[in-house]
Amino acid sequence: MTALPRRGVIALIPDDCTSCLICVQECPTWCISLDSHTEQVAEPGARRPRTVSVLDRFTIDFGLCMYCGICVDVCPFDALAWAPDVDYSAASRPGLVQDTGTLASWRIDD
Amino acid sequence: MIEGRTYRVAEAPSLRVQVANLGLACCALEVESAVRMGLLIPEAESDGPAERTVLLVSGTVTEPLVPVVEAAVLSVPGASVMAFGACASTGGPYWDAPTVVNGVDRVAPVDRYVPGCPPRPDALIDALVGRSVVDGGSS
Repeated sequence: MTALPRRGVIALIPDDCTSCLICVQECPTWCISLDSHTEQVAEPGARRPRTVSVLDRFTIDFGLCMYCGICVDVCPFDALAWAPDVDYSAASRPGLVQDTGTLASWRIDD
Repeated sequence: MIEGRTYRVAEAPSLRVQVANLGLACCALEVESAVRMGLLIPEAESDGPAERTVLLVSGTVTEPLVPVVEAAVLSVPGASVMAFGACASTGGPYWDAPTVVNGVDRVAPVDRYVPGCPPRPDALIDALVGRSVVDGGSS
């Protein structure tokens, strides 16, 4: 029997995330949470500073995640992607919740 | 009551897996799939004593099922408990339903959580033999 592809997990590319919250709203199980703040960016020649969102923390609770991939599909900036080679179980309930650093460390397959 | 099906792990034959599928356990299909793939083998008398027994609990735990889960855990003394799938781990997609208990760990201590809705058969084997890329917590 040939080896089946692994299920993988969902990884984050934090630099591409604009904190637009579309993934958070579309997730059927509400497993994504996102904290961000806004900063004023003054650009030379602009009449007023531009307001940008800055991502503070992005977590996926894989204990709730259905691995449906809706968040990957709806992200307008492709900041979420499947990392097919990663798979895991956890020894504790908090171990199922992964935050920005871990999500960003998972390999992106493109 | 629960179905008392017992398997051995193909790559670690001294590891016994006792399966407790609750009322609503679509994850049970993944266990069946692991059996069909030869990753789990039905226990035979010739297997000898097991070094370790894992009680695999899958399915949505609703309030009426709490005594069934308790009985299942008590029926296999000394076994480590594995919550297999999102429902058994956290309540899964039904976590906000009023009669759903948010995970087996609200009823009995859980030794290993296998995420997924459902987890794949190889995720089951990885969790059973302790192979995992990420472990522990981040929060």
